[in-house]
Parts: sequence; structure tokens; C-alpha cells
Amino acid sequence: MSMLKIKDLHVSVADKEIVKGLDLEIKAGEVHAIMGLNGAGKSTLANTIAGRDDYTVTKGTIEFEGKDLLALEPHERVGEGIFLGFQYPVEIPGVSNLNFLRTALNSVRRYRGLEDMSAAEFMKLVRAKAAELKMDPDMLKRFVNVGFSGGEKKRNEMVQMSVLDPKLAVLDETDSGLDIDALRTVAEGINAQRRDDTAILLITHYQRLLSYVQPDVVHVMIDGRIVKSGGKELALELEEKGYADVA
Amino acid sequence: MQDQPMTGYESQVQALIGTLPGTDDLRAQALEAFEAEGFPTAKTEDWRYSDIRALRKQVYGLAAPAETLPVLPEPLGAVSARFVFVNGHYDEDQSDLGDLWQTVQIRPLANHFMANAERANELVRGDDAISYLNTALLRDGLVLSVPAGVVIDAPIEVLHMMTGAEGAATHIRHVVELGEGAKATVVERFLGDETGYWTNALFQARVAEGASLSHIRVQEEGANALHTAKAYVNIDAEGSYTSVGLSVGGKTARFEAHVRLLGEEACAVVDGVALAASGQSHDTFSHVSHTVPAATSDQIFRTIADSRGKTSFAGKVTVAKDAQKTEADQSFKALVFDKTAEANAKPELEIFADDVKCSHGATVGELDAKAIYYLTSRGIDPATARQMLVAAFTAAALERVPAEDVKAAMADRIDAWMTARSVKAVA
Ligand SMILES: Nc1ncnc2c1ncn2[C@@H]1O[C@H](COP(=O)(O)OP(=O)(O)OP(=O)(O)O)[C@@H](O)[C@H]1O
Ligand SMILES: [Mg+2]
Repeated sequence: MSMLKIKDLHVSVADKEIVKGLDLEIKAGEVHAIMGLNGAGKSTLANTIAGRDDYTVTKGTIEFEGKDLLALEPHERVGEGIFLGFQYPVEIPGVSNLNFLRTALNSVRRYRGLEDMSAAEFMKLVRAKAAELKMDPDMLKRFVNVGFSGGEKKRNEMVQMSVLDPKLAVLDETDSGLDIDALRTVAEGINAQRRDDTAILLITHYQRLLSYVQPDVVHVMIDGRIVKSGGKELALELEEKGYADVA
Repeated sequence: MQDQPMTGYESQVQALIGTLPGTDDLRAQALEAFEAEGFPTAKTEDWRYSDIRALRKQVYGLAAPAETLPVLPEPLGAVSARFVFVNGHYDEDQSDLGDLWQTVQIRPLANHFMANAERANELVRGDDAISYLNTALLRDGLVLSVPAGVVIDAPIEVLHMMTGAEGAATHIRHVVELGEGAKATVVERFLGDETGYWTNALFQARVAEGASLSHIRVQEEGANALHTAKAYVNIDAEGSYTSVGLSVGGKTARFEAHVRLLGEEACAVVDGVALAASGQSHDTFSHVSHTVPAATSDQIFRTIADSRGKTSFAGKVTVAKDAQKTEADQSFKALVFDKTAEANAKPELEIFADDVKCSHGATVGELDAKAIYYLTSRGIDPATARQMLVAAFTAAALERVPAEDVKAAMADRIDAWMTARSVKAVA
């Protein structure tokens, strides 16, 4: 079944068209990867799926499990099961990671008609997720991303993803800035999220991640459009020959 | 000054002559000083952010006792005693002195002077028209003297309630004294109905060597009230005074802290949060004066102004020539929610010593849109996201409230204020 269906999407940022007619369909159980030059519009696409309000959709549709995603607010999209791992996670001084995670989780649970999770149960869950992703539990008490290294921020995104357990995870360069061991840990986290009932959209510049998390489909995005799609071998080809020759 | 309604206050003072032993001369002197000075005008530098036209338009009468007793809210947390003043009159039935009277002197000011007329000499006269008027027209308040070495753990709550007092004022006076090494927390609360009344409160305190006084103020006056409050505090060596305020009520509200560090290693903290909705102005003026070496002062203020709301902070620190090794810090941060919201900051440092560490910073900004997006991208609704950011923004200014339950109650009020904002935004 199709989980995400994007048709002829056009997105403008500050009156400049960035995404220029993009089609993409992802089914439950699939992992897709998008690769492409800097500035191609990959993050713009990811943030449009998440609902960032200064990104204007001028044309086209996005459906998520048959629902019109564009009609929903960002927080409602999370309730429906969408998660965006940020290329540049935001620092929030004064808000602890734990308070942030707990408020997020309970907001999503309420959206889904579930009761709040008890404090004890929540702590158990978060500790387990942090351990899986090899995040120092002390970082849970710190302010959200404040003073975190680049790699620590990315790991924190992964903890958030696994606590919220989305149906569709869009991970925007979650592999950038990670050391080799961290990359492996993050890849394991992504693979753990890979199920028959979930889908994953990876935005990456590097074939390395894709050797750990084998994608079903690889897309090449250039200047606001997907210009080529193929199997996982397309990533290898890109790495070898560069975008100019492949696309 | 002819346009100022002075004569009305003269007759009010006349009416109080002979009512409180020891105060007659003081009243007369204060009235004279008041008349000579006159209310601040729009041109008075220290008052330029406060709208006190109401004071110049009318004479506020002395508030009469309430006709019907209002329902009082529960204390903000565990208390060791509770003083209730309704329209400035001590309400014995609703007050509760607990068993504090066994160890400390705690009683209404009026009763106190009846028995000790000479104590009236200790009353601070004031330093401007509004404080002079308080002295000229004071009727009651709290008298608290904590003997050396006595530690009171739970706060003493002083609740001020104004009801049915249109056009009337209360000039209340609290006198607090801590002996050497004593410790106490006073929580002042200000509440009232929708009438156009004036609360003019004055808190004077003396903190002896090594003593520690916390002074928490939760100002939730009615929407049409004028609120002026002052604290005059003297701190001896190694003593500390911690003032933390939350200002949300009233139409025009102003708090002034005048703190003098009189002994080495004395410490003054003046922190606060002010939240101004449409048409409100909250004004804070502090003057911390370092007169001896090695004292410290620290001030953290966080204010938020919604559309057409206004907050102001003027922090003056003076460091005398001999006050070497002074440490004085000031941090003021304001949020404004749109272009019609206003935040003013005026730090003023007068430093005559050369070996000092003084810092001050002032910033005005908006809520971080990136942070709101990040929070909402995790499923948190925008109103809650804003509330979280505001709680984070104000936390540092509440941090030094010593009683956790009172601190939590203050934080709850900030949350509630934010909830009211988002309800309005949706409507
Ligand atoms: N707020 C903005 N204002 C103006 N231009 C913007 C804004 N946001 C993005 N852009 C522009 O849109 C284009 C696409 O940006 P985007 O971040 O989507 O690229 P990307 O494919 O993710 O690149 P990278 O691989 O470097 O992350 C860029 O040229 C960028 O400068
Ligand atoms: Mg990008």
C-alpha cells in the first residue's frame, strides 16, 4: 500500500521556486534514498513534508496514507506518524531533553487517543532507547542540543525518532558529521525502525550509509526534480562517476 | 503643580492624626515633603515609562473596610503564618499566625504601635511623592522581628486583597527586621477586583549580620488597578536579601527596590518576571548601592510584552569609592510578541571604585521561530511549544525563590498567562 504519494510538487521559499514538479511514491516496508547536489532542494522537500510554514506549496499534492497532508499542521502530521530528522537540529536553551521528549511523546499519544505515559514507564522507554543508540544518559538531562557536538545532535535526533516510533521517518543527512562507529550505531537504529508497516526516506550524500541500510529505491534529485530513480546500485554508480555523468 | 490634587490628601492626613501613637509628626513631615515634591510627571526621568496619569487626575480616598468579605485563595504553598489585609485593613479572622508568635515578634503594625509608640521612629520616610504619601497615610501592615539565630523555614504569606474600592487607595507598610543569623521568607501577594483602586505598598527591612531574608512578590492586582510598591532594604555584613517578583496584574504596576549593602560580603539579589498584556505596563526600578568592599549584587529580569503591552526595567548600581572587590551583575532579557509590544531597558552603573567586577546585559527579542518549529515537528502543538519556550525563558528569574511550592505556583501563573494569550490568538 502506498504510504506517501507526492504529485507534481512545487515549493517556493521566499518567492523563489525550489522544488519544481516532483513526484515520489513510497510504500509501507520500503526504504528510499534521495541523493543530489547541494542546493537541489532535498531539505526543502523534507521540511515541506514536515510542514514548515515558510515553505509555500504553490502546486501539487502530498498524500499520507490517503490523507491530504498539506491540510495538516506540523504537530498533526507527527500525530499521523511522520518524523523529520533535521539536517541541522535546533538548540533550545532552558528546555531539558527529557521534558522535551516526554511532552512530545504524550502530545503524539493524545493525538492518537491514548493516555499519557506514566513517568516511570517513560523513563524506562527513554533509557532503553538511549542505550540502544549509545547515547550517554546524562545527555537526557541537558538542554535540547545545547552544547552538543554535531554527531551528538544527530544521535539525539535518532533517540527522538525511536521514542516517537513514526510510520514514515524522513532522515535529512542524519549520517553527516558522524564518526565511523556512530554511523554504524545510527544505521542500526534506522534498521530497527525498518518494518513492514513503516517506511523510511533517507537523504544522504554518502554511499557508506547505504551499505548499512540497503535502500529499495535510490533517487537522484537535481534542481528541484527527481531526474533518475533506480536500485541500490545507482548510489554506487553516483559515487564512482559523479552526478554529471549519471543524471 | 497647581493641577495636582494635593488638598484632598491633606484632609486625609488630618483624619489620621491621633489614630496611631508616635506617627503624628511623621505624617505631618511626610505630607509636607509630598506637597513640596509633587507626583512624578511624564518628564520625570525615573518615571518616564510609567503611565501614572491617574494619580494626577483624581484624589484616591482611603479605602474603607470591605462590605462583603471576598473569598480568599489558598496560600501559594506551605506557610508558617498568614497575614490578610482586605482594603488595607488587617483581617484577623482570616489571618493565621500559627505558633510563630512564640519565637518571633509578628503582629499588625497598628497593634504594635499602640504598645510601642517609639517604634514609629524606625519608619522610613520615603524618597519621592508616592513613598511620602505612604508614610503620611499608613494605617497598617506587618511587623516582623526575627531574633538572632531564629530560622523560619516556611514562608510567611502576606495577602493583600482589594475589593469594592473604586477610586480608593491603601498605603500599607510592612516593617521587617532580621537579627544576626536569622532567616525568613516573606511572600507578598496582591489581588483585587476590577475596580479602579490604588495599592501603594512599602516594605522596609533590615537584615543584620549573616541573616538571610527572601522577599517574594506575586502581583496579580485587578485589571484596572494602579500598583506602586517599594522595598527599602539595608543589609549588614554577610547578610543577604533576595527579592523575586512576578508582576502580571494591574493596569499600571511599578516596583522599586532600593537596596543598600552596608557590610562586607553582604549580598543582594533582585530578580523578577513581568508579563504585560494589552494596555498594561509593568515597570521595575532597582537601585543597589555598594557602600563597602566585597559585597555582591545580582539581578535577573525577564519580561514579556504581548500586543500593546509594555515592560520596563531600569537598574541602577552605584559603587562607592571604597567599595573595592564589588561584584555586581545585571541581566535583563525581554520578549516582545509583536511590533506594538514595547520593552525598555536602562542599565545605569555609577562606579567610583577601580577594583570591581560589574557586568550588565540587556536584550530584546521575539520567540525563536526555529525553536517553535522544532518543537511542533515533534508533535507538540504550537501553544504548548510557546509555553515551553516562555517557561524556559523565565526560569532563571524564578530560580532563587527558596520555597519550591511557591516557585511552582509562580511558574504555573506564567503558563496560565501564556494559555490566555493563545486562547485569544485563536479567537
Ligand atoms: N529560507 C530561505 N530563503 C532563501 N532561500 C532558501 C531558503 N531556504 C532554502 N533556500 C534555498 O533553496 C535551495 C535549496 O535548499 P535545500 O536546503 O533544500 O538544499 P539541499 O538539497 O538540502 O542542499 P544540501 O545538500 O546542501 O543540504 C538553496 O539554494 C537554498 O539557498
Ligand atoms: Mg539539505
